[in-house]
Amino acid sequence: MNKHYIALWLLLLTAFVAFAVSSAFDLPEIAGHQLKSSEIYDGIFGQSEIENFDLDGDTCFTVPDIDKPESIFPVPCDSTAQIIMLVGDSMLEGLGPRLAAYADKNGHTLYTVMWYSSTSEVWGKSDKLKSYINRLNPSYIFICLGSNELFVSDIAKKRDKYVKKILADIDTIPYVWIGPPNWKDDTGINDLIKSNTPEGAFFLSNGMSFERSKDGAHPTRTSAAEWLDSVARWMPQHALHPILLEVPEKSAGKAKRIFVHQPSEQ
Amino acid sequence: MPSISDILTNIAELLSYTPDKPMLFSSGTFWALFLIFMPIYGLLRRNRWQMIAFVVAFSLYFYYKSSGIFVLMLLATSIFDWTLSRIMSRPGMSRRKRKLCVVLSLIGSLGILAYFKYANFFLWNVNALVGSNFQPLDIILPVGISFYTFQSVSYIVDVYKQRVAPTDTWLEYAFFLSFFPALVAGPIVRADYFLPQIHRNHQATRTELYTGLWLIILGVIKKAVIADYIAQYNDLIFNAPGAYSGFETLMGIIGYTMQIYCDFSGYSDMAIGIAYIMGFELAQNFNFPYKSRNLTDFWRRWHISLSTWLRDYIYIPLGGNRKGTLRTYVNNFATMLIGGLWHGAAWKFVFWGAMHGVGLAIHKASKPWLARIPDYWIVKTVSWLLTIAFVATLWVFFRADSWNDAIDIICAVFKDFSLDYIPAFVSARLTWVVLILVIIIAHALPTHFRELATDIFVMAPWIIKLLIFMATVQLVLELRTADVAPFIYFRF
Repeated sequence: MNKHYIALWLLLLTAFVAFAVSSAFDLPEIAGHQLKSSEIYDGIFGQSEIENFDLDGDTCFTVPDIDKPESIFPVPCDSTAQIIMLVGDSMLEGLGPRLAAYADKNGHTLYTVMWYSSTSEVWGKSDKLKSYINRLNPSYIFICLGSNELFVSDIAKKRDKYVKKILADIDTIPYVWIGPPNWKDDTGINDLIKSNTPEGAFFLSNGMSFERSKDGAHPTRTSAAEWLDSVARWMPQHALHPILLEVPEKSAGKAKRIFVHQPSEQ
Repeated sequence: MPSISDILTNIAELLSYTPDKPMLFSSGTFWALFLIFMPIYGLLRRNRWQMIAFVVAFSLYFYYKSSGIFVLMLLATSIFDWTLSRIMSRPGMSRRKRKLCVVLSLIGSLGILAYFKYANFFLWNVNALVGSNFQPLDIILPVGISFYTFQSVSYIVDVYKQRVAPTDTWLEYAFFLSFFPALVAGPIVRADYFLPQIHRNHQATRTELYTGLWLIILGVIKKAVIADYIAQYNDLIFNAPGAYSGFETLMGIIGYTMQIYCDFSGYSDMAIGIAYIMGFELAQNFNFPYKSRNLTDFWRRWHISLSTWLRDYIYIPLGGNRKGTLRTYVNNFATMLIGGLWHGAAWKFVFWGAMHGVGLAIHKASKPWLARIPDYWIVKTVSWLLTIAFVATLWVFFRADSWNDAIDIICAVFKDFSLDYIPAFVSARLTWVVLILVIIIAHALPTHFRELATDIFVMAPWIIKLLIFMATVQLVLELRTADVAPFIYFRF
């Protein structure tokens, strides 16, 4: 081996050892930015997650280290058949048929509860959501609300309690809140929903581009189907509780039952 | 405190085959293994046979780590081809028998490739044509099979044509076929270029060693920093065709154009760099392809080892340009069609290859006319724009999940297109924009600038090189995505 070859090897070795050693400690912040670790230490010295057998012969699993970073892998998909409830405003006209096609394809049952011109305030003030949950006993909920309150001023102050009430009604049922399809910048409804929902429970639709129907607000049927396709693609990697949503061949399907409420009922 | 058994279990997990996690040059596992490989290789370097045996063993392990049990198939292919090459070169062998050996070898190599890569494509087309209901076969494509199959084909053909002498031992042939820097994603190594290097027993000089390290650093930056980062936005566009504005979609297309270049040329740089450190030279695979001002030039700069392979083993045997103008175009088209199919078993790849074939034919046909146009800067700019637009548009078919998705994405560019999106886009995707600009600037710089940068790095003090290397690794850690993306060309 010539000296240059050894020098190069030492260079690579020094760098490797430096990254390995530093990965055992918390790295410093530089200008407010936390440096990321190489995780070499955890990779070699971290506790194995392969099953162990204790001396008594009982099978046990090692408990992961408390400091261990969260798994980088997406949450496993729940592949069981679900009873899905889709609730929201008139945007469900476009989303509902496509979600029904997904439900048909994947063995789920879909109920749609559409309340024209509704808002978080309307749903939050009423007991309709709770009563539908009690009646239909859904195992999964999709909500699409916010389109009718894109431009409400001081929205955080006015609507925060209603968003919280909706989420309290949903309680522990897994859900995804599909954000409104903005056609202009909103005054804070997206931020408000996002701040009240855990990561993976809110799909931000703002920023997506839609082909609009004549009223300029509702996506066309095709565009709404693409919108729902985007939600379905997003879920396996990002949703808190992903369910089986394989792409259906049919562009639209039929919900088992659709409940419609008029603005006059508000 | 971790127990010894935990440590051993972790190390065993790191060293064993994990499906969907092929060994990447930019991974910590490879880095650690290369640190073990280097001193042993350095010690064995002087004894050619020990060195060859060690590198073959390491290469086979490298392939096992990427493709598991398929390492046995690589072994079988190498033994089969080498045996046939030896039989072929026996004195007194008739031409007919020699030809039979070539045919047997090609049936073996290409048959395996056809089964693993194209069987389901064939079944799918049969089903579509005759309405049958053959179930797709449960086939896993071995990593890098297209690359080493092409190497084995070129070796057998070259031995048949007596352009190279067959290796005396199987070990030498196995060294050539399984040389780990080029094994899973090229560059496609040619026997006449590579085999003499085994016998040369050359020890890398200081310049070669650090040029190798510099290429590895460049490759890591291209692949693990730029390509993997910009892929996150590009994936949004390609996963939801038509859901974004025209401007955003156009940015996604430009992004993918840059991503595939950085991904693949980054891998090639790393492969060439590692080979350099070992004292071997692999041919250049990319030469700033997006500088091209016509399609012929593009294919002289893009995936050079594949395009020269296609030229030498398909285009020229078909007749090349020796059989008249029309036949030249047909040969060109057929070669690109096969090139497209080599990239993947889907009609979109065939279309991609066919369109490049058409583009090349149009360029060749219009050469006499183009030669009359003065080479003003405006002409150069328009030529470059036309070439890059053509190439980028065809990349959409390469990347999109389906034919319909590709059409939707291209149509989306013309829908709702407005430059008003620029300020908001730049503010929301600043890092993405900066990385794209880095690639564009790298292309715009004079070619000798790259050589100058290499020289400066090679001449820099050891400590500066160490700091540059460590800064690169930290940059990878800062920008890495949750799931390490495999090289795009691994699947080919």
